Amino acid sequence: MPRPFPGVRPIGKPFWLMLPGVAWLLVFGLAPVAFMVAVSFWRSSIFGTTPDFVFDSYARIIEEPLYLDLIVKTLRMAALTTLLSLLVSYPLAWFLATRRGAWKAVWLVAVFVPFWISYVVRTFVWLPILGRNGLINQSLMALGITDAPVEWLLYNEGAVYVGLVYVYTLFMTLPIYLALGRIDPKLLEAAADLGARPWQTFRHVVLPLSWPGVLSGCIMVFLLAVSAYVTPRLLGGTSGIMLGNMIASQFLSNNNWAMGAALSVTLVGIVGALLLVTGRWIGIAEVFTGGKK
Amino acid sequence: MSAAAPRARDPYRWWRTGLFLYTGLFLTFLYLPLIVILLLSFNDSTSTGFPLQGATTKWYAQVLDSADLIAAFANSLAVGATAAVISTSLALLLALGFRHGVRGQSLVLNLILLPVLLPGIVGGIVLLIFFGYMEIRSDLWTTVLVAHVNYVLPFAFLTLYPRVHGFDRTLEEAAMDLGATPLKVFRHVVWPMLMPAVVATALFAFTLSFDEFIRTVFVSGHDRTIPVLFWLLVVDEIAPHLPAMAVVIILVSTALSLAAFAIGRRADRST
Repeated sequence: MPRPFPGVRPIGKPFWLMLPGVAWLLVFGLAPVAFMVAVSFWRSSIFGTTPDFVFDSYARIIEEPLYLDLIVKTLRMAALTTLLSLLVSYPLAWFLATRRGAWKAVWLVAVFVPFWISYVVRTFVWLPILGRNGLINQSLMALGITDAPVEWLLYNEGAVYVGLVYVYTLFMTLPIYLALGRIDPKLLEAAADLGARPWQTFRHVVLPLSWPGVLSGCIMVFLLAVSAYVTPRLLGGTSGIMLGNMIASQFLSNNNWAMGAALSVTLVGIVGALLLVTGRWIGIAEVFTGGKK
Repeated sequence: MSAAAPRARDPYRWWRTGLFLYTGLFLTFLYLPLIVILLLSFNDSTSTGFPLQGATTKWYAQVLDSADLIAAFANSLAVGATAAVISTSLALLLALGFRHGVRGQSLVLNLILLPVLLPGIVGGIVLLIFFGYMEIRSDLWTTVLVAHVNYVLPFAFLTLYPRVHGFDRTLEEAAMDLGATPLKVFRHVVWPMLMPAVVATALFAFTLSFDEFIRTVFVSGHDRTIPVLFWLLVVDEIAPHLPAMAVVIILVSTALSLAAFAIGRRADRST
């Protein structure tokens, strides 16, 4: 926490200065979340959702395989997306961190600018690549490798991984790049002078020092992937849907607010549990800075 | 990796070549879909896909002529500007209050960070439930504006706070010693120093709001912002003019982001 300013009187009492912001956050930030938690205990029937205090929705989430399986699948998909992003991003981050001079800026711009584009658009662009008339199928057919379009490229779990990694891998690359950039090059020289092979240097010097960046990247990508909605909806078909799609369908088609709220609380619980566990190694604020205090 | 070592014996040479090739592969993965969309946006065919059928600009004509897109663009600009002003003002007041240290400050900080940690889809759903139960109709100036301010406020606070806390307070003390009232100190000393950062923050907030999708889509009612309009068209059916619309959206939001970034940098440097 910052030191107060003893010599300077504020233009108003801090209480009054902070009141508008705090009021907004309480009314529009906290209250709707608290209300959602309350609604998750309401009773839902064909006549709609009525105020009550029952555990019906949570019981169904635990008892019905439909929900529990989807939660397990969503966790698995988010974990695999995180792992894939890590494998894709680490060498890239190392490449960027070891550039010098004017070219460094060029490489950074080339890698990071596309991530500025809305992820709705960046997910959509995969449809004309993976689809029936897409680039891959038409190329395969033109080359005579297949006679008919390959159907399994799109609308399944695999397509969702491609989309999620494409959309979110920046959040892995950036913190690892920042962490690698903070490593003193003298350490690598010292390791080489002492006779370490490149692989040994990587294994015993670079990898441990980049750990905070890896950790914050993994947290960010997992949190984004576990609450994905756009990518599974657009690329996943029926077999690739995730928890976010199930939550949305409670409001858009099933009209079961209590269940939608309970599933949302479950998702927030997953996110909170992850931050609680990883909080032992890395603070929430440091996640955003790649582990820099 | 010392510079004096002979090149041929550089133990990292294979690693470097490998990394270089790998980065080339990654950039292909990154840019190929964007290039494909650009090609398809000029494709003279009523079905979206390959093989390419010859060039046309008719999809662009259709997109730029679309009243829906223009209305969505106006909505995005209006709600983005409003959300930027509200969130930056609230963030500035919060940051000014934080300077003087009050009890419960860490609690308030957690409250500020809450919307960042809340999954995006939940951030939209909670407002759908909350406003829905109060029977307030979802539209641009109710739920969408609230959703955008909620989303942008933490980022505005996190960019403004270091600036508000970091500047030289001896200037303020000097003005105080010379008899200026707190209001005069703020007006003539603090505000001129903070103004560039405030402008830069507001512009950053605008670009975040302009691209916001997941917190908006469930609460936009009959109003559409640009990402929501594009989503509804894509989910409905893959129409042949969608690649052209994607390219237009990419260009518009990139141009707005670059402009906001340039103006923010210039305002920030002029002090």
